[in-house]
Amino acid sequence: MHVDHDHTGVPHEHSHEHAHTHEHTHDGVTHTHEHVHEHTHEHAHPHTHDHIHESGAEHTHSHGCEGACGSCQTQCEHTPKEELMALMKYMVGHNAAHAKELADLAAKLDQTGDHTAYEQVMAAVSDFEKGNMRLSVVLTSMEHE
Amino acid sequence: MCLSTVYKNKLAPEMVMMKNVMRIECKDGMVILTDLMERQMAVEGTLEMANLVDGVAVIKEAAV
Repeated sequence: MHVDHDHTGVPHEHSHEHAHTHEHTHDGVTHTHEHVHEHTHEHAHPHTHDHIHESGAEHTHSHGCEGACGSCQTQCEHTPKEELMALMKYMVGHNAAHAKELADLAAKLDQTGDHTAYEQVMAAVSDFEKGNMRLSVVLTSMEHE
Repeated sequence: MCLSTVYKNKLAPEMVMMKNVMRIECKDGMVILTDLMERQMAVEGTLEMANLVDGVAVIKEAAV
């Protein structure tokens, strides 16, 4: 099977969205919100081109992704640790998004007049974020190994 | 929002096509799966079911 993409094969820049979190306090409850910002970095896409070898036979070769996984149509090889770290990174961001959803839910509970439930849910959000912060620290330490 | 496991034809462990799927595109009779590592897999067929709570989807492969 083949997925069509336009590739130039030359290093170039794309803008990417990245999520990150930071901690702050509302109504005495500390929690984090996820923020998304854009940045760019240079990379090259995988590409193919034809060669004619001495035998006269024409072949198509593909070239490596040089670390750029986006739009990769080949089955890039990643080490198990790289995959685990990618999964962990995803989960840390994902947990932060869920924490924000829970904080929003808590705010709605408060609007219904159930301030006790609001406080309990926000306490749970805080605990949840502490756990996520621990995961984030582990991830950062793995990234610097 | 969560990553999914995609199965071929039926939801059974031996029918797993791809895990940690973050994107499913249906285009021109093809279903294109992309996992967290941006690996892609394309299969001729249709998206039969996606349970976003359980993080599972089933692709019905087109008859050959």
